[in-house]
Amino acid sequence: MTADRTALIGRQLRTATYTVSEVDVKDFLGVVAEPDFAPLDDTEGGAGVGAGLLAPPSFAPFVAVLGLLKTFDWQDDFLFDYRNGTAMFGEQAIEFHRPLVVGESVSIAAAISDVYEKQGKSRFDVIEVTFKIAGEREGDLLMSGQQSYILFK
Amino acid sequence: MIERMDKPYFEDYAVDMPLPSIDFGPMDRFDYIPIALILRDTNPLHLDRVYAQERGLHDVVQQGPLNQAYLYSYFTSLLHNPWDLVGTKMRFAANVFPEDTLSCGGEVLALEPSERGGGVITCAVWQRNQKGEVILKGEASARIPSRS
Repeated sequence: MTADRTALIGRQLRTATYTVSEVDVKDFLGVVAEPDFAPLDDTEGGAGVGAGLLAPPSFAPFVAVLGLLKTFDWQDDFLFDYRNGTAMFGEQAIEFHRPLVVGESVSIAAAISDVYEKQGKSRFDVIEVTFKIAGEREGDLLMSGQQSYILFK
Repeated sequence: MIERMDKPYFEDYAVDMPLPSIDFGPMDRFDYIPIALILRDTNPLHLDRVYAQERGLHDVVQQGPLNQAYLYSYFTSLLHNPWDLVGTKMRFAANVFPEDTLSCGGEVLALEPSERGGGVITCAVWQRNQKGEVILKGEASARIPSRS
């Protein structure tokens, strides 16, 4: 028997926080080269990513995905056994309100906005989550959008 | 690696105009380790080839946000300021594996001039692997300055 997840619509997920750490951004830039956002050069006169400087927009999906993963528990909030089940990302939409600053802490607020079943090669549920990512000052919105998760049955 | 290129201005764009395409790769399985650490997600599907093969995949699966990062990097490389990015909408269509090459491209869908000069451009964007399979597809929009 599979869970009826439609009762999850409207559920407010827990608020999470994430710090856009210099270590994470440097590690990221070691994988995805971004000429306009060079990693911090430790040599004298070097310039690049450091506290107070900007993270590249290509890092934004990481903040959204990582932040959102902290807002829910697969079992408690999605009625999904992550150890034995198969889940994948569906669609993601992000609206950008201002750049991400290295070193800043952001909070992620999210809610389940829709749940529906679809049939592809196999049957699966789609859980749509609406989110807002904000800075520490009131009204300081960084990103907002939607992320859907596909949970195979 | 994206090379610096001449950045088009708002007047240079037209609806249906293709964007230049850029290839990334080949993808490297050792990149999945720092990405797993950044994402705090050590799912063996991304790191353990035997685990992935036991689940019917030929190799480990590259993390989805990394696929996205390449498409973001591509699109924002066309902008005068990478943070002129206004929004994105993307659908994950297929998995990426080690040694895959990712080709990113797009096409102009709409141009919305601003009273202050320049405007917002909305483009279809896509990412395909070396077999032509769509990995990501969607839209991205950004502010583009005027040449004047």
